[in-house]
Amino acid sequence: MSTPTQSKSLKTIGEDTWKNKTEKVNAELFTLTYGAIVSQLCADYDRDFQKVNNHLFSMGYNIGVRLIEDFLARTALPRCENMVKTSEMISKCAFKIFLNMTPQVTNWSTEKDAFSLMLEENPLSDFVELPVDAMKQLWYSNVLCGVLKGALEMVQLDCDVWFISDILKGDSQTELRIKLNKVLKDEVPIGED
Amino acid sequence: MVRTKEDLNQSIKKMNRINAASNTPTAVGTQETTEQQKLQHQLQIFQNSLPKVSQTAYMLLLNECVPLSMAVEKKRGDRALNLVGNGDDEVSQTEGKLEGVHLSPPLDPPSNQLCRELYEADEEKHNRVLDRLRNIGFEIGNKVTELLVFSNNPNLHFKDMDLLSVMKFICRDVWRQMFNKQVDNLKTNHRGTFYLFDYDYKPIQTFALDSESSAKELQMVKPFLEITVGVIKGVLASIGHAPENVVCLASYVDRPEEKPRSSFTKGVSFHVQVTM
Amino acid sequence: MAIYSFWIFDKHCNCIFDREWTLISNSASGTMNSKQTEETAKLLYGMIYSLRSVTKKLSRDDSTNEVRSISIGKYRIHTYCTASGLWFVLLSDYKQSSYAHVLRYIHSHIYVKYVTHNILSPYDFAENENETRGRGFRKISNRNFISALESFLGPMIAQ
Repeated sequence: MSTPTQSKSLKTIGEDTWKNKTEKVNAELFTLTYGAIVSQLCADYDRDFQKVNNHLFSMGYNIGVRLIEDFLARTALPRCENMVKTSEMISKCAFKIFLNMTPQVTNWSTEKDAFSLMLEENPLSDFVELPVDAMKQLWYSNVLCGVLKGALEMVQLDCDVWFISDILKGDSQTELRIKLNKVLKDEVPIGED
Repeated sequence: MVRTKEDLNQSIKKMNRINAASNTPTAVGTQETTEQQKLQHQLQIFQNSLPKVSQTAYMLLLNECVPLSMAVEKKRGDRALNLVGNGDDEVSQTEGKLEGVHLSPPLDPPSNQLCRELYEADEEKHNRVLDRLRNIGFEIGNKVTELLVFSNNPNLHFKDMDLLSVMKFICRDVWRQMFNKQVDNLKTNHRGTFYLFDYDYKPIQTFALDSESSAKELQMVKPFLEITVGVIKGVLASIGHAPENVVCLASYVDRPEEKPRSSFTKGVSFHVQVTM
Repeated sequence: MAIYSFWIFDKHCNCIFDREWTLISNSASGTMNSKQTEETAKLLYGMIYSLRSVTKKLSRDDSTNEVRSISIGKYRIHTYCTASGLWFVLLSDYKQSSYAHVLRYIHSHIYVKYVTHNILSPYDFAENENETRGRGFRKISNRNFISALESFLGPMIAQ
C-alpha cells in the first residue's frame, strides 16, 4: 500500500514534469479540435451515437498505447503493485502531465479492484453543450476511456474503462470508472515454461 | 519570453519587407514598432495565463485523426457492402443495454497499419478520407478565429483586415496556437495567391519509414498536411471568404540549406488562392 | 572504456533491435539487426530473464527491485527495463559501473521520439500471436531511429 511520502512524491513528479518539462498549447484549442473530431464522427455515422462512442473509444486506445511510453519516459515510474497505486499514478501524474488536471479518486470497490475518477474539469468538454439527441446517448469524452484502456494494457493491466455519468448529459458530475479484469502475465519464451 | 518576442519581430520584419517591396503602405517606423512590441509582450503574458494542456497530447490527438478517418472509411465501406443488414447495429445496441457488463468496443487496427491501408487505398477512398480530414480542419479554423479574437489580440482589427493581414494572422497567430511556432516564410503576388512555407512542420517531424522508402514515405505522410489545409480554409471562411472561392493545396518543398538538419527531410508549403 | 553491443527486447521476448560493434576504433563497424546475432540475443534474453525472476523471488514484496547490471568476467551487462516491458541492454567492458543514464536517454529521446511518436512505425513489433514469446523477427528499421542511435552511441564505444 502507498505511504504518504510516496503519494507526495507522485504529486511532485506530476507537477514538476508539467511545470518544467512539458511544452504546452492552449486548452481551448484542444477543446476546439476535439469538438471538430466529434462533430465529424457524428456526421459520418449519421448521428448513430453508439457508433460514435465506440469509435471515440478505439481512437483513444490507439493514442493510449503510445502515450503510455511517453509517460514512462518522462517519469521512469515502475509498474504499480496494486490498483491503489495505479489510481494515484493516473490521477496525480498522468492527468497532470498531459491535461493539467488532477481528478479525484473515489468509490473504491470492496476488493479494491475498481475505482472512479471524478472529473471536475475536463479540457475536452469545456463550454461544450450537446444537442438533445446527443445528450441521451453520446459519451462525449469517451476517448479518455480508450486512452486509459490502451495505456493500462501496455503495463499488463487488463481493465474495463467506462463513463458512469457526465455533466454534458445533464448529470450532476462527471464520473469515469476503471475496473481491473486481470493482471496480464508477462510472456515467457516458447520452451521456457 | 524575450526569445519569442524576437522571433515575432523577425517575422513581422520579414512580412513588412514583402509589403515594402510591393509598395503597400505599412507602418515600419521605429515608434510604431516599439508600440507593437509592447502589445506583443502583453499578448504573450495574457496567452501564458490561459489554461493549457501538453503539446504531446494535442499532437497525438491531431495526428490520430488520419488513422481514425481511414478507419471510419473502412467501417462505412463495410456497412455499404453488408447485405446481411443491420447485424452490426444490433450487436452494438445489445452491448449498450447489458447492465454491469462493460464489454470494450471492437478496436481498430493499429495506427501505423491504418496509415498503410490509406496509402494503399484506391483514389476514391483516399480522397474521401482526405475530405474528412479537411472538414475537421475547417471546423477548427472556423472557430479558432473566435478564440483568438476574444483573447484581446492586438494583431486583430477585423474591420480593417485585408487579405494579406488575414494571411499574416494565419502565419503568426494560428500557427503559433497550433504548433508553437510561426510560418517560416510567406510569399504573395498581391493578386490573391499566397505561399506559406513551414520548413519544420511540427506534426510530422519524427515520422519515417525505413531507410530506403523515401517516395513512399512522403506519400504516406501527405495526409497529415490536410487538416491544416482545412484550418486555413476555415479561417478564411470565418472572415468572409467562402470556401468555394478559396483553393488551398499542400505540397512538399526542399528545406533551405541554411536551416539546421531536421529529422523530416522536407518542408511543407501551403498554396492558397483566393478569388475575390 | 568500451561499449560492445546494444540491444532492445520487447514484452514479447523478441529482440527488436541489436547493434554490435566489432572494432573499437571504428564506430561504423559491426552489425545491425543481423541474423548472426540471433543466437546471442536469445542467450542474452534468457540470462536477463532468469536473473530478473530470481531477483523478484528474493525481494519479497518490494517489486521495484530491478536488475541493473550483471558483471561477468570482463563484461558488464547493463539493463534498463520499462514498465511497458521494454528492455534496453548494453554490453560494455568492466570500467564503467553504470550506464543507466545512457539507457534512459535512449528510451526517452530516441525510442519514444522516433518509434512511439512516429505514427508510421508500429508500437508493437509482433503483428500476430505467432510472433510472440520469442518467435518474432521484426526489427526497428526506421532511419531516424538508427541515425540518432548511431550519433549518440557511436562516440561512446571507445572512450
